[in-house]
Amino acid sequence: MQRQEAIDALCEYRGDCISVATMQAASPWKDAGQSAQDHVDASDCMGSAASLGLGLAMGAPDRKVMVLDGDGSLLMQLGSLVTIASLGPSNYYHFIFYNGLYQSSGNQTIPGHGITDFCKVALASGYKKAWKVSSKGEFLEALPEIMNSEGPVLIEIEIEREDGPTRFPGVPVAPQIKALREQFT
Amino acid sequence: MTTADAQGETPAPVATSVSAKVLAECIVDLGITHIITVPDTVQKSFLAYMEQQDKVKILTVCTEDEAMGINAGLYATGHRPMMVIQNNGFYASVNTLKALAFDAQVPTFMFVGQFGRDLTKDSNDNRRRGVRMLEPTMQTWDVPYYRLENPEDIGVVEEAYRKCQEIEGPVAVIIGAPTS
Repeated sequence: MQRQEAIDALCEYRGDCISVATMQAASPWKDAGQSAQDHVDASDCMGSAASLGLGLAMGAPDRKVMVLDGDGSLLMQLGSLVTIASLGPSNYYHFIFYNGLYQSSGNQTIPGHGITDFCKVALASGYKKAWKVSSKGEFLEALPEIMNSEGPVLIEIEIEREDGPTRFPGVPVAPQIKALREQFT
Repeated sequence: MTTADAQGETPAPVATSVSAKVLAECIVDLGITHIITVPDTVQKSFLAYMEQQDKVKILTVCTEDEAMGINAGLYATGHRPMMVIQNNGFYASVNTLKALAFDAQVPTFMFVGQFGRDLTKDSNDNRRRGVRMLEPTMQTWDVPYYRLENPEDIGVVEEAYRKCQEIEGPVAVIIGAPTS
């Protein structure tokens, strides 16, 4: 599946979710109009999307939180899976864009590619459910069940390698956080 | 610098315990909603007391990076979180500190325990690098910090918290001796 196809599918099911995006998921999410509100980019801190989303999910238990994470990013703080499972927010939806590559730094292969199974790691850590999808049709078919499931859940989205220039949204995070906080205070 | 007791034999401590109860009252008075912690030996009695009191949610996490991420998310959703970590954990979290506390302008209020400190010496004169380098590291990163060395310093907790809200960034209270 192309990354863009996965982004398009997620847009259809976002509803009033708060979202977090990191690395190469952030720009297409912004281009799809999903960053304008109720959104925080985990910029310049690869690995932190999962825990940022966890704080949002715990802080706003009445809202669903979508975390658009990367495979290399998740590996940087893989222990987050344990913390998320331990704190167990039922509104936490963790999407991993999996291409087996550190795309932002030049498409180097990530450790564990072809060996490590994120779905199994998530389930063994205590996530409620996990899915692995590799086509847009498969993803669209699974999304209603995913978004109706009690979190935390993880979805590994297998995407194709991209060789174009890397992109970052270039949006400062501070105003995103301030805008979100205004809704809650 | 080391000071000696009346007989001049055993060096007297330059930092002494602050009561967990007093510290806890400060935290509750400030309206702190969550303590996010990678547990710290120096603050173990404080953490135990807070857990027992059940007035503030305690979130125990795997790494200090995570703690900063969760802190940012809780802040963005209207809460008043803080972190309880130790010196070694502060070192481990610097990249996230840069991005989420400084660049994202998230008030990040931290108690940082001086794990491994020789209490008879100023922390900057300690043999252990983890103790000795904490303040210079914070200075390098422009992290404002306050020393809580003795019970009479308790006022720095509120001062540090106010500073943290004012600058919308990280501020540390360095816990110099094990809480009692």
